[in-house]
Amino acid sequence: MSIYDLKGARVSPMEQARTLYYKAEAYGHIANMGLRVGPLTMLGHLRSKPWLKVLLDCGTLFDMSTKGREGLYRQASAMALSRVVKAITETLEGVFTRPEYTVMHEDLVPPEIIYAMGLNPWMAELLGIMGPLIRSDFAERYIDVSENAGTPPDICSLPKATMGLALKGEMPRPAAILTSNMPCDGGMSCYTVLERELNVPTFRLDVPYNFYDERSTKYFADELFRAVKWLEANTPGRMDWDRLKEICDERNRSVEYQMELWDLIREKPAPLAGEALYLGHMIFMVAMPGRPACTEYMKTMVDMAKRIRAEGGALHNERFRAALWNPPTLVYPELIAWAEQRYGVVTLMDMISYNRHPYIDTKSPQTIMEGLSRIIMQGPMARHTRGPQTNFFTDLFDLYERFNLDMIWMAGHMGCKNTMALNGMFREKCRERGIPLLIIQYDLSDTRVVSPAEIRKQAEGFMETVIKAEPSK
Amino acid sequence: MPKYFAGCDLGSTTGKAVILNASGKVVASALIRSKIDPIETGREVLEMAAGQVEGLDVRDISYLVGTGYGRNEVPFANENVSEITCHAVGAHYMDPGVRTIVDIGGQDVKAIALNDDGSVLEFAMNDKCAAGTGRFYEAVVRTFDVTLDQFSELSLKAKKVVPVTSQCTVFAESELVSLLYKRHPPADIAAGVQLSVAKRVFTLARRVGIRPKVTVTGGCSKNKGLVKALEKVLRVDIVNLGMDPQFMGALGAAVIALRKQGN
Repeated sequence: MSIYDLKGARVSPMEQARTLYYKAEAYGHIANMGLRVGPLTMLGHLRSKPWLKVLLDCGTLFDMSTKGREGLYRQASAMALSRVVKAITETLEGVFTRPEYTVMHEDLVPPEIIYAMGLNPWMAELLGIMGPLIRSDFAERYIDVSENAGTPPDICSLPKATMGLALKGEMPRPAAILTSNMPCDGGMSCYTVLERELNVPTFRLDVPYNFYDERSTKYFADELFRAVKWLEANTPGRMDWDRLKEICDERNRSVEYQMELWDLIREKPAPLAGEALYLGHMIFMVAMPGRPACTEYMKTMVDMAKRIRAEGGALHNERFRAALWNPPTLVYPELIAWAEQRYGVVTLMDMISYNRHPYIDTKSPQTIMEGLSRIIMQGPMARHTRGPQTNFFTDLFDLYERFNLDMIWMAGHMGCKNTMALNGMFREKCRERGIPLLIIQYDLSDTRVVSPAEIRKQAEGFMETVIKAEPSK
Repeated sequence: MPKYFAGCDLGSTTGKAVILNASGKVVASALIRSKIDPIETGREVLEMAAGQVEGLDVRDISYLVGTGYGRNEVPFANENVSEITCHAVGAHYMDPGVRTIVDIGGQDVKAIALNDDGSVLEFAMNDKCAAGTGRFYEAVVRTFDVTLDQFSELSLKAKKVVPVTSQCTVFAESELVSLLYKRHPPADIAAGVQLSVAKRVFTLARRVGIRPKVTVTGGCSKNKGLVKALEKVLRVDIVNLGMDPQFMGALGAAVIALRKQGN
């Protein structure tokens, strides 16, 4: 990531002070983690897990998301990042202080049941996701380790990075692994390597291929029940069904605010955009849902959005509204801020954030498990990587209308075979609907495949040639 | 003093310039081989074009638009515009019915879809390697020890097409040598090369949707054998724009310059 592509906004000393406050707050969270884990213990982790040092560079993420912004939008962006850093450090603290209670899981396993069992969820992909956001080349050495160990170079770089961490001995060792047959072959093979390298008990959920009918929902709910029994047999955790209800109720409260936030960003100009939306969802609704901090985050963002609306919108020069479909560009998170500044494009939605079944019926353990089943089976990275093409396109075109978008930017991760196979169909369907489509050819975690400069070049070509947008002066 | 408007296309292998009068008529055009210094290429090709208009100096051009890879280096340019846009404008200027452009240049291939008013709807580029581009053909004709024109004519004499599977410039040379050593008729091999390139172009064009009318621009559009192969693969007639298609980018730039003055 290079913040030199951005021009600094003219902001008052007070605004600069607020930004600095949130940045300092983030570093405070990191320091607190170190203190609570214990300085000597933390030092040991720093030696055995060099990736921890990347946290110290999180200031660049703040700089990226605030440099070109102003007003309350700038403040909201900084606040969002501080909350995200706090959530990550809290997770790491749990992993470091209670490894015997830690359950490693992939992103298509509901963390709610892990929390409800008094265990620590540890989404293995989190490092591969957050690392490149802070330091673009973070994942590359782990990718090399993975490929040198025999992993095919053309699979998704996120599982390659995740495997590489384990192969290098830098992945925190959990008590157990809870994974599934999703979202793709690369993801599945990743957990095979993790199981072997970490040498811990592993349970694989069977997510049904056909996932729309009640039979599938009940089947997967039974799988979740089976997983609970397995976890009780292989970890110190015990399911507290009342606790699970509380967690899911909390999640529903978070969703209420998120739905309100989505209603707000339908407005023109949008009162919020960018990292506050997509990172917030990734952390508080996918990786670590069901905690009061999640509800607090969503509520805060709703409040901020209302205040930003009164201020005239997040981007005073909003000209275009876009979805960045597929996971956002991890190695070039600056793309969003750059697009705002250069062309007045606000990014309002992405694949990970858009979910069709957000609520959970908490009447009984059975209904809770069925609700979690639907969230997983019909959520992004599951629904969009399996089954007919309508799974992928229906959601996309629904949100195109819902959020009053002008164009779609597809983060065309070359390693994602599922979505890349849809490119031709994607173009045809957008052509039929008259929707301008940019497919960015890039790699999610490896800048050596396509550099950030090349990513920008693709975006510039599209904006200036197809959209006929003049760059901002 | 009459007003003149110009476009200058600094491509990877050639520099082109087109000059229009205030009525939009092409009054001059020039093409030279690109030099190491793009500024020098721009200066020379513009001066060459201006020299075709009595009394015109480059500095007297009312508005100049640069395009191509070297668009930022065009001397005296008032602005620069992407080559995608310029090819679209140029082709549409010559034939408003054109909806699909295939531009095969020295180092890249572009497919451009236009709407009714000539605006770009979609585009796709292959700029990652030289396969199917002018550089590719330069390597091929060295193997055959003929000129490009001779190679093109040769391919039209084929009795059957010998498949050529290599599309990479490096590997294609060795494949062609191998085919020649197996005593396949050179004409048949040449036709295989044309068909191979056409299929590759088809893949790119399909990404933007192939809608008639279809035209081919860029230096490789002068390769008759390739155009014939493209018609076969695309299953459409390639329309002739009535002007050297290698100048479409520069023409489009000149048209944009003309429009900037309200014409």
